[in-house]
Order: sequence, then structure tokens, then C-alpha cells
Amino acid sequence: MGKKRTLVVLSSSDEDEKGRRTGSSSRPRSAASSKSSRRGGSSRKLNVGRSRARSCSQLEEAVKFDKLSEDFGECLRDLHTVSGLKCTDMKEIWVEKYKPHSFAELAVHKKKVDEVKGWLEEKLMTSEVVGFGNSALLITGQAGVGKSAALQVISSQLGAELCEWTTPTPTLWGEHVHSRRSGRYYMSKLDEFEIFAEKVGKYCLLHPSCNGGSRKPVIFLIDDLPVTNGRIAFARLNKCLTTLVRSTWVPTVILITEYHKTESVESSSNFLEELQSSLEKAGAHKVVFNPLTVNSIKKTLFRICEEEKCDVTGNWIDHIARTSGGDIRHAITSLQYFCLRPTDGFSLATSTLPAIQSKTSVYKHNSVSSPSLAGTEDLDAPPFLPFGFGRDETINLFHALGKFLHNKRETDDSCALEQHSLVLQEKLSRSPLKMDAPEVVLSQAHGQARKVADFLHENVLDFISGEAIDDAWLVTSYLCDADLLLDNASHPTRFHMMSEIYESENLAQVVAASVATRGVLFGNSHPSPSRWHTIRSPRLWQIEQLSWHNKNQMASERFMDSNPCNLYHSSHVTMEYGSTMKWLRSKNFEVPHTCQKDISRNDNGVFDFDWMDQEKDETSEEIEEEEIEDW
Amino acid sequence: MLWVDKYRPRTLDKVIVHDDIASNLKKLVSEQDCPHLLFYGPPGSGKKTLIMALLKQMFGPGAEKVKMENKAWKIDAGSRTIELELTTLSSTHHVELNPSDAGFQDRYIVQEIIKEMAKNRPIDTKGKKGFKVLVLNEVDKLSREAQHSLRRTMEKYSASCRLILCCNSSSKVTEAVRSRCLNIRVNAPTNDQIVKVLEFIGKKEGLQLPAGFAARIANHSNRSLRRAVLAFETCKVQQYPFTVDQGIPPLDWEQYVSEIASDIINEQSPKRLFLVRGKLYELLVNCIPPQIILKKLLSELLKKLDSELKHEICHWAAYYEHRMCLGQKAIFHIEAFVAKFMSIYKGFLIATFG
Repeated sequence: MGKKRTLVVLSSSDEDEKGRRTGSSSRPRSAASSKSSRRGGSSRKLNVGRSRARSCSQLEEAVKFDKLSEDFGECLRDLHTVSGLKCTDMKEIWVEKYKPHSFAELAVHKKKVDEVKGWLEEKLMTSEVVGFGNSALLITGQAGVGKSAALQVISSQLGAELCEWTTPTPTLWGEHVHSRRSGRYYMSKLDEFEIFAEKVGKYCLLHPSCNGGSRKPVIFLIDDLPVTNGRIAFARLNKCLTTLVRSTWVPTVILITEYHKTESVESSSNFLEELQSSLEKAGAHKVVFNPLTVNSIKKTLFRICEEEKCDVTGNWIDHIARTSGGDIRHAITSLQYFCLRPTDGFSLATSTLPAIQSKTSVYKHNSVSSPSLAGTEDLDAPPFLPFGFGRDETINLFHALGKFLHNKRETDDSCALEQHSLVLQEKLSRSPLKMDAPEVVLSQAHGQARKVADFLHENVLDFISGEAIDDAWLVTSYLCDADLLLDNASHPTRFHMMSEIYESENLAQVVAASVATRGVLFGNSHPSPSRWHTIRSPRLWQIEQLSWHNKNQMASERFMDSNPCNLYHSSHVTMEYGSTMKWLRSKNFEVPHTCQKDISRNDNGVFDFDWMDQEKDETSEEIEEEEIEDW
Repeated sequence: MLWVDKYRPRTLDKVIVHDDIASNLKKLVSEQDCPHLLFYGPPGSGKKTLIMALLKQMFGPGAEKVKMENKAWKIDAGSRTIELELTTLSSTHHVELNPSDAGFQDRYIVQEIIKEMAKNRPIDTKGKKGFKVLVLNEVDKLSREAQHSLRRTMEKYSASCRLILCCNSSSKVTEAVRSRCLNIRVNAPTNDQIVKVLEFIGKKEGLQLPAGFAARIANHSNRSLRRAVLAFETCKVQQYPFTVDQGIPPLDWEQYVSEIASDIINEQSPKRLFLVRGKLYELLVNCIPPQIILKKLLSELLKKLDSELKHEICHWAAYYEHRMCLGQKAIFHIEAFVAKFMSIYKGFLIATFG
């Protein structure tokens, strides 16, 4: 039974590898089949290499099985390509159609391309001489910055073959039930990846370029890491990848797609960072692909426009490129979408382009404004949403806080606004904000009310100009209102129906966040002249922790000291016993029985206190740093 | 050992200050039927001392063998389980805890503990089922829900469990709970009584008390016996052969609060507000309750204030104290008060001095 299982494993992974070998989908099928037969041969070799003691009959059986599964695989691929063909009957997707084929077409920054290319060249030249290690390359970058495209172009230029690990298709429940009846067990994708990595590590000795084959050099590409859920799975993946990086001979390229920090609420981004650092430690060379510049995207878009012969104005291309957020795949797709209905586009284009232009100039300083939302504050601009394109931008929490705290407003009072608005008292009127509505900004930043309120509370005083204590009061009073609202939100016992709780909680949260931000914006009517401020993480958090800790400590100390059977009111312990104890202790240590020093004593006590402050400040700073890293 | 602990009366017979209450309690216990009790009175008046002495009277020296533990409670509340950690102090006969430490989940704790106690009640020597005593501190800080659930469990388990409640102000305890208990008011000791205690301690320690010195400490203590005894001890350490005009050292946090007050008076600006916030944090870290900080701060500020502002400032202090109780993070509210004070005071200064 056990043997059989190993056979299955071998064959399945072999099949996978073969499938991966095809790399880009545009490869002709005949090549794939010829390769598969070759692969079958090599797999036989592998089997021999692993256990020579295995009997001939078993080996034959294995080969037969392999063949069978290969055939099966072929069938599958046939099926797949048929469906693919259907697709190509229609208009082709531009992202596929205009895949870069040369360095000139590549939109990635030249320096990065050269770096990757240089590295690969070096490895391919020396791989036969040099032994272990350092033959792994780690490429990171946002989605759609052309990591895979760049690699494909480079490898084709270098004449190397790209062997890609693609994650196997997920097993459906029905499939699983079916295959279990036929004796195949379910295998998690992570397991399969582990086996693959292990095999790559082990059998690279046998890889064809070493034993004098006429084959092209090989580059392993790991593009799609298996999804890991939770610590343990991640640790497995991490271990398996690091051992792969350490042991591999063949140049291996690992692509990691970075997600926007604020986008992923769960810890997956942390995992990725950890993975990167551990891979780097294991000796992988790291190249970071930055988001593409607007210009390079524009260049590509123009090229596509030319080839497609669709007449798109430069303004629109500029706009698409700007809103794509450095994601070329997205930019091309939106271009195609835009070209689908050029007539609509033009009529709109002529009427609204100026407005958008002016807006983008206003928002130039915060590069991530989304024009569809910009119209909310600007009454001059028509309430018009251009197209669906442009990614829904998320902004950093710190960015949002910066907006609130700096409190940028229009300097010249627009008279148009004054006319049809209510007449407000002098002290209540404020000039319009130079940003989206605070609620919109908050929702972009995924701001949770409590967090936002704490951050604002911590930092707002730095942004109020030196003399404006009235403003400070106004701001703090609004924050205090927000705190009140938040507290109501966190008392579920006051309500009875579950749904009611969540609803009201949610509403209270939203209102609290709104009160806090708007209060800060309104109250700070004399913002201090803008200069560089660092935004601190709320000290309140570690104050709370520390005080909790201190409280417990004092209580237990008190209990140890005085061992009577009493549980004290915590406040009494801290207020009265605490200070007295401190006092007595300092006395006992320093001046055992002298009565002379009662003048210096007072200073002494104060000094003691100050010293504690300093110590606490130090520890708190440490904690603060940690927390900032957590963010 | 501190004098406060050393000279704490262990039995009801030795109680000096509230000897009338003590003798009543003794009678009550000797009749073998002890109702639920509610002790209330200002801090430092001897409630806990009376309770401990009472427990000893009921159970003998076994009540003094206590252990402190941080117990984690898992409570099944319908759809979810709540996990709480609470410090309890227990002997074989009684359990003592501060249920208000559990925050707004206090009602679960109260029910759960009483249920558990009722389950394993001790059997006394005669084979009769005895009862356990649950001492709940700071009942006035319990939420309304907790007090309601307390009322029901009180009735249900009254056969196996006696409650002794302890709080500062009975007005925050619901009528229903109060009517189920024997209410015992423990007054703050008068200055004469404090002097008597101090003299008693002085005699035991073999100290020479100059005339009027004990009275001064008593005066200074604001009718809290605990504070008086603690201050007495610090005085002794500070300078033993007492002099008549010896200063009584203030508590360090009080000193710190008055420092903050003078900071506020000296300058009114956002920067100063930030500095004050840092100092307030310092107090909070040292677990000084925010209500008390605010109160003390107010009294320190009032000392330095013109009388025409006093009313307004008091109003705002009350306003923010109320909100602090409703709200979550005390610092927001204290700070708002400080800012408001600064704003008013600055306006006042500008109006008067131009």
C-alpha cells in the first residue's frame, strides 16, 4: 500500500512538473507532447536514481502508470485549450495580446531589468562550476508591475527555458469523492508544493544541462506560492522555500506579489514580509520592482492604441495611466474597456476633461486622489463620475490622519459659495476643506473609530498653533464626545436584541469617527504653520497596559508585605499605601537613623519620582517603536 | 509590617473606634443566624477591619488563612463564552473579590461565583451543612445589571451562602439589594477617635507624643483613620523625637497634582496642555483613579483662583467628571477639562489685565 502511494505521488508530481514546463500558454502543443515523452524518460531515471533495489517489474509498473497519467494529462490539456480557443474567437484580451516580447516593449524600469538580467546571465554561465547556494532570486513588487513579464522576456532573450511552478488546480469536493473511490488520497496543495521543492532540491544533480545534454539552460520560476492559512502552514511553506533557496543549483526565481499594506487586514502581509526576510537570510538575491511610472504606462498604452488603430486622446490616456496606480495590467484592461465604446467616451471626454484636469492639479500633492470622489467638495465641478476605471484607492491610515491634522483649507474665500450658504457667525464659519469629505477619507483608510480617535488625540496638539488654547479646548471637547459615543458602542449589555446591538454599535462607531475627525477639523481654526511633524502612536495604549500591570503588581506586593486577609480597594492601595511604602523604603535605604536631613528629604522624594518618570519614558519609547512596526 | 496592619484589631473585642457596631455584630453572630450584610461608609473608616474581625468571629482562626489567586473564569453566556480573570482571596470559609474589576461583564462574575460557591459548600463538624461567606468589595461600582443579577442569586442561594457587601456610598446600590441586607453604616471616625487610636499606637511603640501632635495629624488626615496612621508612621520615620511644629509629609501624588495645577496656572497654551497630558499619564500609570485626580486637581486649582471664576470652573469639572464616568478613556475627559480651564482662565486674564 505504502509503495503504491509513493508511486502515485511521484507520478502526480511529475505530471505537475510537466504541466509547468509549458510555461506560457502560447507554446505549440506538439512541443509539449514531445517534451512530455522526454520527461517520462527522465522520470524513469529519477526512479532508478532513488532506489536501485526496486525490482524491475515494479519499475515497469511505474512507467506504465506514468504513461497512463500522462495520457490523462494530455486529455486534460486538450480540454483546456479547447475552451481557450473558444475565447480567442472573440476579441482577444489585450493584456495577453500585447504581452511584451522584447526589452523595448517592457514597461519595467530599465535598471531593474538589467539587474535581473545580469544576475541570471551570471548564474547561467557559472552554474555548472559553482556549487550550492546563492542561486536564488527573489523579486517582489505590487500586482501588475510586470514581474512575470519581465522574467519571460529576459529568459527568452537569454535562450533559457523557464520551468514554472503553477499551483495545481484546487480539488473540488466532487473530484475528491470520485478519486477517493479509485484509491487516490487527497493531498493538500501545500504538500504537493513541498514535494516539488524537495525534488527540485534533490534531483538537480540529474538535471539535463549537467550531464551533457544539448538542452537549453533551465530557470525555475516559482510564481504562485500556495496559499497558507495560519501560522503552522506558513511555517511549513517558509521552511520548504528556504531549504529550496539554500540547496538549489538551478537558478530559481521566486516572485512575491506585495499587497498594499492597508488592504489586507489579516496578517497575510506580515507573513509575506517574514517570508521575504527569511529567504534573503537564506541567501536569495532580492530585487524590488517599484510601481510603474505614469510615463512608461503611457508609452505602452500609446503603442497599443497605435496597433489597435483606435483613436484615444492623450488626455484620456494620461488619465488612465494616472489612475491605474502603477499597475500596467489594470491600465491596459481599462484602455480596452474604454475603447469598447468610443462614442460614449468622446462625448463625455470633451465636456469633462477640463474639470478633471483642474482637479488633478489640485490633488497633485496627494498622488492617490480618485477623481470619481473628488467632486463631493467642489461645487463648481459637475457631479459626474467618469468611468469605472481607476482602482479604488486605499490610503494609509497615517495619510488620512495627516490630512485631518494638517487641516489644509482653501485660502481664498470663494464668493460663490458664500452667497447661497447660510450666514454663519464669524467664529463658526470655516473655509472649505482641501480634501474629500472626512468620512470618505476615513472609509478609504479603513479607519476604525477608536483607533482614529486615539491617534488624533495623541497628535492633534502639535498641530494647533501656539496661542490658540480655545481651539485646543474645542478639539478636546469633540474628542471627548467621540469617546462617549464609542463607549456606548461597546456596551452590548444595554441592548437586548442581537441585531439591534450590531446595528447601533456600527452606527455609533461611524458617528464617533465622524465627530472626532470633523471636530478636529473644525476646532483647529488656527492650524500651526505646516512643517514636518511625526505622527506618534498613541501613548495611551501603553499607558493603559502599564497601569494595569502596575496595579496588579502593587496589589500583590501589598499582599506579600502585609499578609493579613484583606483584598484592598485598588485605589487605596495605589493612592495611600503605594506612596507611603515608596517613601518609607527610600528613607530606610538612604538615611537609616539620621534626623538631620529633613530639608533634603523633600527634594529626595521628588527626585525619586522624576527618576521613575525617566525610566518609564525609556520603556515606553521601546514599546512605541514596536507598535509602529506592527502597523 | 506597616502600622496600619500591625495595629489593625483582629477581633471584634479589640475594636477601638466603632465599638458599638462591633458589639452588635458579635451579638448577631452568636445568635447563629447571620443575614446578608451591607457595610457602607467613607474610606478609612474601618469597614474592612470590621468585616475581617467578623469573619474571624464566625469561623475562628481558619478565616485568616487565606490565599490569593488569579482565577480565570469561563462563563457560558448563551451564544458565547466569556473569559475573565479576576483576583480572589479565599479561605475555606469565605471568598473575597472586587467584582467591578471585571468591567461591564461584572454581572456574569457575580452569578458564576455565587453558583460555584453554592455547589461545594463546606460541612461543619456536626454534619450540618454550613454556609460560606462571599465578600464583595466596591459594590457601588457594580453595573446596574450586575446588581440585579445579584439580587436574584442572593435569594436563590441564601441557604448556602451569605453575602457581605462593602461600599463607600449606599446610594449607588439598588434599593432591592439594600432591602435584602442588614445595612451597617460605618461613620468616619471623629478627630478625637483618631487621636485616641494614634495615642494607643504611640504607647505600644513606646513613642513620646508631644501635645497636640496627634491632633494635627488627625486634622490633616481628613477623618480617614488609614491615612492618619500612615502619616503617623511616615512622621516617625522622618524625624523621631517629634517636634511640635513638625510638618506632615504629603502624599507624592498629591504633590504631583498640585505641581500640575501650578503648571496650568502659569501658562495656557496647547504646548503646555501637552505637557500636562504627559504628567496626567504619569499619574494614571501609577494607578491613581482618574476621578480622584480630577477632584484633587480641581481643589488645587480652586485654591489659586479668583472667586468669580470658581463657580464656572466647578460646573465644568462636574460636567467632565460625569462624562468621564460615562466614557471609556479618562484622559480624554480630564484633558478636556484642563483645556477648558485654560481657555477660561486665559480669557479672564486678558479681560482683567488687558
